[in-house]
Amino acid sequence: MAQVVFSTWGRNIVDNRNAAGEPAAASFKLPVAFDGEQPLKAFMGWDGIILFDKYVDIPAMTAEYMRRVQTLYCCGRCTPGKKGTKVLSDLFQNVLDGKAKESDLDTVGDLAELLKNCKCTLCQSATVPVFDAVAHYRSDFLAYITSSCGPNREPSRFIHKITAPCMDRCPSHIDIPKYVEEIKNYQYGEALATIRDNMPLPSVCGRVCPHPCETACRRKNVDDAINIMVLKRTASDYEWMHNLQPPMQPKPKKGKTVGIVGAGPAGLAAAYYLALEGYHCTIYEALPEGFGGGMIAVGIPAYRMPRHLLQRDIDIIQAVGVDIVYNCRVGKDISLPELKQKHDAVFLAPGAHRSKPMGVEGEDKGYKGFLSGGIDFLREAYMGRPTGMGKKVCVVGGGNTAIDCVRVALREGAEESILLYRRSRKEMPADVWEVDGADEEGVKFEFQVLPTKIVVDANDQVTGVECVRMAMGEPDASGRRRPEPVPGSEFIVECDTVIPAIGQDPDLKFIPADMGIDITKWNTVVTKYLPHKDAAGKQLNDSMGNPLCRTLITDCDGVFAGGDAEIGPLTVVACVGNAHRAARVIQRWLEEGKAYLTEEDILEDLLTYLGVYDKNEKVPWLDSADRSNQKEVHGRERAAKGNYNEVELGFSDTTAQAEADRCLRCYRMAMVAV
Amino acid sequence: MAHTESSEKKTTATLTIDGRQVTVPVGATILEAAAELGIKIPTLCWLKKVSTTGACRICVVAVEGIDRLMTACNTPVKDGITVTTTSPEIIAARQKTLELLLVNHPLDCPVCDAAGECDLQDIIYAHEVDRNRYAADLERLPIRYDWKLLESDPNRCVLCEKCVKVCREVVGREAIEIVDRGDRTIIDTVSGEPLDCDFCGNCINVCPTGTLISKPFKFKGRPWTFNVTPSVCTFCSSGCQIDYHSANGRVERVTSGDDTYNRGILCINGRFGYAAFNSPERITSPLVAGEKAGWDKALATVAGTLKEIVAANGGNAVAGIGSPRVTNEESYLFQKFLRGAVGTNSIDSEARLGFLPSQIIQYEMLGYSGGTRDMNAIEKATAVVVIGADLKGESPGYAYKMIQASTKNNAKVVMAFPRLSSTAKYANAYLQYKPGSEAWLVAGLNKALIEAGAGAAGSDTLKSSLDALSFEKITQATGIPEAKIREAAALACAGGSTAVIYGSGIIRSADMKNAVTGCVNLALLTGATGENGVGIYPLDEKNNTQGMLDMGVCPEYLPGYHAYGHVSEFGDAWNCAVPAAPGKDLFGIIDGIEKGEIKALYVMGSDPLQFMPDRGRVLNALKKLDLLVVQDLFPSETAKLAHVFLPAATAAEKSGSFTAVDNRVQCFSRAVAPAGEAKNDAEILQKLFSLVAPVAPIAVQGSEELHHEITRLTKLYTETCDHAGCRMGRIKNRAAAPAACRPLLPSEPAPSGKPFTLVCAPIQRHNGSYTTWSASNNLVAPGRYLEINPSDAQNVGVSQGDQVTLSTDTGSKTLPVRISSAVAPGTLFVPSNFGDGVLSGAGSLAKA
Repeated sequence: MAQVVFSTWGRNIVDNRNAAGEPAAASFKLPVAFDGEQPLKAFMGWDGIILFDKYVDIPAMTAEYMRRVQTLYCCGRCTPGKKGTKVLSDLFQNVLDGKAKESDLDTVGDLAELLKNCKCTLCQSATVPVFDAVAHYRSDFLAYITSSCGPNREPSRFIHKITAPCMDRCPSHIDIPKYVEEIKNYQYGEALATIRDNMPLPSVCGRVCPHPCETACRRKNVDDAINIMVLKRTASDYEWMHNLQPPMQPKPKKGKTVGIVGAGPAGLAAAYYLALEGYHCTIYEALPEGFGGGMIAVGIPAYRMPRHLLQRDIDIIQAVGVDIVYNCRVGKDISLPELKQKHDAVFLAPGAHRSKPMGVEGEDKGYKGFLSGGIDFLREAYMGRPTGMGKKVCVVGGGNTAIDCVRVALREGAEESILLYRRSRKEMPADVWEVDGADEEGVKFEFQVLPTKIVVDANDQVTGVECVRMAMGEPDASGRRRPEPVPGSEFIVECDTVIPAIGQDPDLKFIPADMGIDITKWNTVVTKYLPHKDAAGKQLNDSMGNPLCRTLITDCDGVFAGGDAEIGPLTVVACVGNAHRAARVIQRWLEEGKAYLTEEDILEDLLTYLGVYDKNEKVPWLDSADRSNQKEVHGRERAAKGNYNEVELGFSDTTAQAEADRCLRCYRMAMVAV
Repeated sequence: MAHTESSEKKTTATLTIDGRQVTVPVGATILEAAAELGIKIPTLCWLKKVSTTGACRICVVAVEGIDRLMTACNTPVKDGITVTTTSPEIIAARQKTLELLLVNHPLDCPVCDAAGECDLQDIIYAHEVDRNRYAADLERLPIRYDWKLLESDPNRCVLCEKCVKVCREVVGREAIEIVDRGDRTIIDTVSGEPLDCDFCGNCINVCPTGTLISKPFKFKGRPWTFNVTPSVCTFCSSGCQIDYHSANGRVERVTSGDDTYNRGILCINGRFGYAAFNSPERITSPLVAGEKAGWDKALATVAGTLKEIVAANGGNAVAGIGSPRVTNEESYLFQKFLRGAVGTNSIDSEARLGFLPSQIIQYEMLGYSGGTRDMNAIEKATAVVVIGADLKGESPGYAYKMIQASTKNNAKVVMAFPRLSSTAKYANAYLQYKPGSEAWLVAGLNKALIEAGAGAAGSDTLKSSLDALSFEKITQATGIPEAKIREAAALACAGGSTAVIYGSGIIRSADMKNAVTGCVNLALLTGATGENGVGIYPLDEKNNTQGMLDMGVCPEYLPGYHAYGHVSEFGDAWNCAVPAAPGKDLFGIIDGIEKGEIKALYVMGSDPLQFMPDRGRVLNALKKLDLLVVQDLFPSETAKLAHVFLPAATAAEKSGSFTAVDNRVQCFSRAVAPAGEAKNDAEILQKLFSLVAPVAPIAVQGSEELHHEITRLTKLYTETCDHAGCRMGRIKNRAAAPAACRPLLPSEPAPSGKPFTLVCAPIQRHNGSYTTWSASNNLVAPGRYLEINPSDAQNVGVSQGDQVTLSTDTGSKTLPVRISSAVAPGTLFVPSNFGDGVLSGAGSLAKA
């Protein structure tokens, strides 16, 4: 099975219809069965058609594809798209009805050419598979035209999904082209509503999102990506700056309630979407009132994420029907079984707040000046509690938390703030702009060094870190070079404070062992998933190594999990996307007693696995409008002691409008036959 | 990194279009660059005044090296590119696209309103598209016959989005949207309910086809059969330039071109208010004692009675009330007749109720009255402060400018008004103050600005006066917290180019003196009147209030604001003896009538029974007169009492000039002859002058002659009109005076003892009472109402539509209830357009 019968995908023609002997090899990142069970018979999309089952009725599939594009998604905002797809849609229906002439098929090629002038790519890209179908399955179309009964194929069921490279890559699947176009049209309120459909923390993700969407922006194939993140901030700030009331109205209350562990991005997002559906949610948060937001609050400093705006997003979420019980640590102030009893469903989103050990000599000795971890440091600093920091601070690590620590150390009054990282600057997992920001503020960097020992004086006060320099070693068996210590290069970095910031993992002690909830070796909660396999029989995983399609229900009925504690430590946007899906599954579970993914959910995941963005695609467009970047406060004063004022300043509305006008609106529709 | 300094960003780009080079600013589109070379690229959806759309795909051009056609209208130029605008491939693409546009387009041109002025027709014709290779199943979409004033036939729509964009970006209403998908995509209301909007009809004006059409115009005639006369709108003080389309002596349509000062944008009054001209209620014959009479008899009666009264009691026994609606020339003649022929300086107008005294204060402080810059300058403001006005209710042109500044120039907007206006969504700070506390509010803003470091000449004395006012007290008076006032003050200075606009809320405030002084202070403190400032603009609801005052229709000044010391210059020029003492003002005139000192009143284009605060008292006074002459269009309350009624002409029926509130003087010529026996005010006044003048009758002057006389005597204008028939006429001379802040001493708010405070202001769907004679306006704003907060409605026990009786110190009215959270609890709103403007202050309510 899963033998490719015919394909034009990626503009490569694989034709095994009449192949004698060994069929041409072709493989696509698609599972053999759509949902792990029903065979995937054919796929039709922006880059061609893929046929796994030779009995699929191609003219019928083509007609259905064009009908759905025209009637469900064509925005009508350009002449070729609006009218051209109507002509094509009716033309294919006429073929099926035996009312077409053979010469009508010539119109398909003619319009495929004309529709290159479309305003965006939906209708234009929709002509690609239908043109391929007519070109390569002409006889099947003629069979309908001449005999009016078709080529005698099996009927199929079709499932479709609209997508775009950016919205596919966004883990929250925000309808990015839509909100960008709304900003272009000065519809800031509508843009924000579009964002909130999938992202209830717009002021946050408009500021601190690592914006994976921008790495999949097709405008990059012309010049530079659209500044998608700052446009999100624009929409969010507009509402705030004009004192506008958020328009969301929750559905009438449905009686059942959901208990949620943790007021972080995942907990807040799940609560928001469930509350909108009429399910009252109660979030149990370990920290005191005023410190909601989970890792956003404790892990992202205020100069990146102003607190009053985070709080505004939280207040808006609460206003649709969410209670937050602060100072309530599940497992201590209330047990998980109690919670389960109290609510009709429980969502676990405790995050990943436990700092990982560094593995250096002396870290477990309780030295003065050796702090427990980066995230703890950031939290204490944010809450205005003593951090234990001295004047000369060494932070160990290369991620965003490490960078936040060195930058916060300056704002907490450190005279010197030094970052130690074992690889080179360009290999740092931290976002480039964060590293540059630290640099501008006067942080010192020691790259390619490995801390080996904490140095202390007679009073067990830290006085430095002993390090060894690292160099790239010889290639190993896989050909990859690993950093290795350079013998004899040991040296000491003097400091009075060491902050390890090499990562966090979830603290799941609050889950009693007898609840039947499984935990992985990475200390994340196990949730159920679909048995997707590729042609070679291998399980399909997502980019984090988790099973591709997860229902987010644990092995304990009624208990769901999401966020960093389910995915592994990741990003706000990933947690929100994951929690939004969890909210939908929880709703199904509450209403139908079944926790399942819809066909649209599944196709969404399959498309992400297949890949919607093609960095090699040639995009013909005039590169005459440069990307705009937001202004920021410059100079070391911005990191002066106590100065947590926001560093980045966003766009003016007109800059945002012009930036949005660069968007190529790369919608496209995929459809599968099962 | 020093080397980056040399790589300065280029500000221009040079490109080649059809073999010719052109250099344009970076950011210009290919379409604009081509226009520089005189190359016309065909367009259908492009509209200069809104953001680019790129919907029609007709303007495609080839850019060398780009493997697809690009749309010229929304593709910015790039240095060094080579563009081809015409080639067989490009023409084929345009033709095919046009064929697609015509797939199932109804060819109902014989009954389509757009026939003859249809952009689709023109472009199809120009591209010689006479056949169609494409076809699709026909599916007709329902026509919206159920909208008021407008009709929408989506089958004719080409989805150019111009209407949607004008509605959103220029009018700021967002009443219509693109809805549905695919070939069923149409322009409709988002809710699908009938249109409920500003009814400005700007969507009709920009529609390239017959999709959105005017119902009042439907079947009134084919577009090419009308006489089109450029003119100036006769309603609000924005001074929009319009075109009257007339046939058979009737105005049947008003449009405005994209090349006008107002870029073709009008409001409901400009677009539909002309129905008042054609109102069946209009009186077009002279009436004497309520009976039809010929002109000779009517004028002889007026002249004879006036002469008798003057002979027996002197000129001071006669008074006049002028009109903010008539032309400058007519206002000039009105006061010339009364001063020169009758011999009285007791001439006043409704401007007495606020606009005139406010402008005297502004003049004393700045050396200017009216707007200090022209209205369009507001588009370039970085901060716009609107105090005491619902812009769309008073002068919609200013609302459109504020919207441009906000959306296209990133201006911060501060608005202050007791009722939430429909433009509130643009405000970065909206101060919904307690009615009556205007002086306190501006004092608070003044104080916050000074405390934040703003300064101007005189700000020291201002500061000492403000030191006596605590924010606690200011908040108590206004209901606005201190932090909000400080935030608004900071926003008012944003960007360094501020415009200050103040409206009737300030101008007719109970403490007008301090409210206006505070607004002028605000302009000085924010730099609005300085070099980088965008000016200060008083608003008035009516088209020529500013011009009327310029012409001396007030007791304290001769034309051109000349003091009575100059009286001989005027007397000599008019060959009459003009009395040298100032006359009585509006209130003095009523007093004088009551005391029997004034026996004759000449009312031109005005309805004192509608606008005077104490209607009962005025009514008794008017009944006491020996002679009441009313010269008007309609049987107004005052006209019904007239001994002699003289039917006047509308703005479409005469020529002359209007001076907008920003001091633009615009000339216009006659579009149609006066209806029936009506005559224009100038002709009536000149005839009367000849009949009454005691010394030397003057001949009826031509308008050119009159212009010269006015210019010479008033010294207000540059001598010549730019050119004949132009609408940007003469320029007013301006003398800047050294400007300084003045101290503020807002009067103590007096407890009213009544549960409600009243806001009485104009609404957006009318202009003054003029358009209440327009069937079109009345269709969407049929009449009076009282707006009340939902919580108050509950307390009083009334629901939507119930009748309530509102009692104030100046009278009581019974009105239907409208429940709305646009008014704060404790505040009531009553539109001033329907003769309820007499209500003010505090009141109580009872279910009727």
